[in-house]
Amino acid sequence: MKHRYTLILAAAASAFVAACSSTPETIAELETARAVVPQVEASPRAGVAATNISEARKALDRANQLADKGGKTADIQYEATVASRNAQIANEKILSAMAKDEMEKGTAERQAVLTDARAREAQRNAEYARTAEDRANALERELADLKGKKTDRGVVVTMGDVLFDTGKATLKPGAYATIERLATVLKEDQARKVLIEGHTDSVGTDEYNQSLSERRAASVQAALFERGVEASQISTVGKGESTPVAGNDNAAGRQQNRRVELVFQDDRSKVASDTN
Amino acid sequence: MNYSTTRIAGPLMLAAGLLAGCGGISDLTKERVARSETSVQQAQQTVGNSEQGALELQRAKENLDNARKAMKDGNGELADRHAQLAQLDAELAVSKSQTASARKAADELLASIKQLRQEAERPTSPTETQQRTTDDK
Repeated sequence: MKHRYTLILAAAASAFVAACSSTPETIAELETARAVVPQVEASPRAGVAATNISEARKALDRANQLADKGGKTADIQYEATVASRNAQIANEKILSAMAKDEMEKGTAERQAVLTDARAREAQRNAEYARTAEDRANALERELADLKGKKTDRGVVVTMGDVLFDTGKATLKPGAYATIERLATVLKEDQARKVLIEGHTDSVGTDEYNQSLSERRAASVQAALFERGVEASQISTVGKGESTPVAGNDNAAGRQQNRRVELVFQDDRSKVASDTN
Repeated sequence: MNYSTTRIAGPLMLAAGLLAGCGGISDLTKERVARSETSVQQAQQTVGNSEQGALELQRAKENLDNARKAMKDGNGELADRHAQLAQLDAELAVSKSQTASARKAADELLASIKQLRQEAERPTSPTETQQRTTDDK
């Protein structure tokens, strides 16, 4: 242990002596140049600053030679500073080149991420469109089940006279199943709008028939509201006896004319814009 | 030109040459100082008020001042050296400023990619999610 300690001391002492003899005075500029020039020379991107690196090496060699020959300190300082400055410039050029490499790689990467994001977005939209389409198809099926007729105005579901108390606007319990299904359809697709039209036969005064048709349309509307359909989806109109679908000269025809029609328009966007 | 003129002109030209030598400022040095002046001006424009390269630009200006002073004092070698250092410091100032801009641009790009990635990894954007929940009601 003691032996080793002595060895270390001896080594330190010899290093000190060696330091003293080879460089009587330390020139900071030279030490810096000696440290920085090899660093830039070793850089993998040294090629982008070849001229500066070569200038740095030449100046450092001159500084070293001057130091070896015991040249003037000012001369050594000058050459060492030229070497350091060139090495620093080279370093900046290398850093710039690296940043530009990253830019180039990043631009390509960004493009890839964007393309990927667009693809995902398209996929999401397709999925969303598919579910919307599924819902729309389900709606069409429901309306078909309700014996909806396709007309120019859209799909028309007719609720006949038998579903109302005679001469009154009250819905009979037999109408509930139909109302329930209509409500389900409308809640499924809130973009879907429905126009409820009340109609009567020609028996009675125009005023009475107009009022009855309005009240019947309103009671269908109320039944749909009760089942949670949004108010914005429904509008009502009383048509009175103005739009018969059959002759009013016989009982069967008159019964057909006493009805409530629910008009579901096909083009949802058109309906939306029409109501807006 | 007659003989007598030539005889006088020779020594005169020699004397003029010697005088210039005494001044110690060669055309080459003057040219170097002028070139450094241009470089320092260009560096000033590139660096502007930004922090990156400001220190080096200041050092370039000091070296240029020292070069002019040495030239006035007739010390050609010193003028040459200071002009050379001014030139290098001006170049370093420009390089530092350019590196800072390139670094900033690269960092911004990398940040934007990171953000894009995060957005893409989210299943849906908030507005879309909200829209769907409303529809599903």
